[in-house]
Amino acid sequence: MKAWHGTMKSYLQIYLRFIKNCFIAQMEYRTNFILGIAVEIAYLFSKLLYVVVVYETDLHIGDITPDGILMFVGTYTMMTGLYAGLFFTNFVRISDYVRTGELDLLMVKPVSLQFIVSLRYIDLGMPIPNLAAGITMVAIGWHALGIPVTFYHIAIFVFYLLSALLITYGLMIIPSILSFWFVNTGGLAGIFYAIWDANNMPMPIYSRLIQRIGVYVLPFLVITNFAPMTVMGRLDGGLMVWGVLAPVLLLAAVRQMWKQAIKNYSSASG
Amino acid sequence: MEAIRVEGLTKDFTYYTKEVGVLNSLKNLVYRKTLTKHAVRDISFSIGQGEMVAFLGPNGAGKTTTLKMLSGILHPTGGHLSVLGYKPYERKKEFKKRFAIVMGQKSQLWADLPAAESILLNRYIYQVEEQAYRRTLDELVELLDVSHVLNVQVRRLSLGERMKMELIAALIHKPELLFLDEPTIGLDVVTQKRVREFLAYYNEHHRTTIILTSHYMKDIQDLCQRALIINDGRLVYDGSLNQVNGASAGSKIVKLKFADYVDPDGLGAFGTVRQSDGYQATLEIAKGQINAISRELLELFPVEDITIEEKPIEEVIVSLYDRKIPV
Repeated sequence: MKAWHGTMKSYLQIYLRFIKNCFIAQMEYRTNFILGIAVEIAYLFSKLLYVVVVYETDLHIGDITPDGILMFVGTYTMMTGLYAGLFFTNFVRISDYVRTGELDLLMVKPVSLQFIVSLRYIDLGMPIPNLAAGITMVAIGWHALGIPVTFYHIAIFVFYLLSALLITYGLMIIPSILSFWFVNTGGLAGIFYAIWDANNMPMPIYSRLIQRIGVYVLPFLVITNFAPMTVMGRLDGGLMVWGVLAPVLLLAAVRQMWKQAIKNYSSASG
Repeated sequence: MEAIRVEGLTKDFTYYTKEVGVLNSLKNLVYRKTLTKHAVRDISFSIGQGEMVAFLGPNGAGKTTTLKMLSGILHPTGGHLSVLGYKPYERKKEFKKRFAIVMGQKSQLWADLPAAESILLNRYIYQVEEQAYRRTLDELVELLDVSHVLNVQVRRLSLGERMKMELIAALIHKPELLFLDEPTIGLDVVTQKRVREFLAYYNEHHRTTIILTSHYMKDIQDLCQRALIINDGRLVYDGSLNQVNGASAGSKIVKLKFADYVDPDGLGAFGTVRQSDGYQATLEIAKGQINAISRELLELFPVEDITIEEKPIEEVIVSLYDRKIPV
């Protein structure tokens, strides 16, 4: 237990260094930093058009009202921000590490290679607009639906957001891990981005079969649906348990996949 | 005490070829003929603690592949290896804390940050105590004379300064074993010398085992007593560097560029003419006569440019083969 605590502490220290390093590096290129935020804001506006259409047409998905839909879109926007800020930059680099053999120097470090490869870079600018807009949308939807602002409700919402974050990590890293075998997996990554974007509406919009696949096979739908569904009282006991199990099972599977991938690594010449 | 023991080490890679053209690309989409490259074939050797050994060989000989197996980056296809008592391919954290690797063509430093930041990150990764970190950093910075650029962004450093920073980042946890893969590649002569002097000092004072790969003969002459020569994946020589030096010591290569036409027949008197087209010539000249003959050549011919080089490692290996030096 003590050793585990020590390991966690040292990983946390390293992760804080990563954040500090990224901050220093990004401040070096102020224009790029500000432009990145500006582009993200523009992208966000295009997504907000959905919300405008939902309210203008008084769209109901099943018995979910526009205010309810706003909670889902808000959660999707927050998760997009977190994915872009914490994982995206790292995952797109993995195939380059494999292709150029840069992985060699990371491999000899006495820390988990998966940790160093998948969490080394943090984009501190890009998530700001998405997080701010996402939190605002969730807050508006939350208030409009009259969901009580209790410790329990906030804690359970945050808990399922964390579960969503772990699932995001586990799912979106898959194309990058496959690059150990196929080197270039841009095509598959494109499919995953498309599936990700399909998540910006509540899952009842999809057929039962797609919902089953999206919840139990490739649990994309868990990411943006479970957190708002719990506080809206729409998540039954079975799904609540699945929301806890899914990230654990997915991360265990991804870990095994990673180990196989590293065994398969043949480095690059030079 | 032994730091490294290698027995019958082999490494095969599979790859495929593709003929030129669109049609062949389409063929390649459905069928690929897999070929096997035997990068390292049945190599055995052992290296004692504190030794400084050179890994020599031409490009593609298997030096880097061997080094990558010794450091755990690659899984061997066959054979046994033990490094500091560990099996490198198990990649245990305790093992990784005890060695370091520096590759001349790859960087562990973050280009947008001052080197000091990357070195500090290594302090956390290797869990070096604050005091020990400070002591080691001060020592290394002083030895390599880089205190003035420690806080400069890496991308603004010269190649030589960057390599010195790479060495500091690699040595900050005081490894017992250091792998250096072409550490002086691309560096100017003065910096090469400085890096060599540093390595010699470090090896002597810290008793760090150092394995150095290079395809420059000059790189290792000052540093290593022992050389392992690898060619085509095989260990062709393991022994004193003096003999290797002997094989390359006899002569040097002199390359000449002339302003006007020079009859190639007239050059034969100065050494073995390897190549000459009247405007450029390559001669092999005995080392003892280099100075005198160079002067004569400059006086007698319209020499525009002259360079004097060591014999290529490939030729040294052939000479070693010819002498039938046993491995």
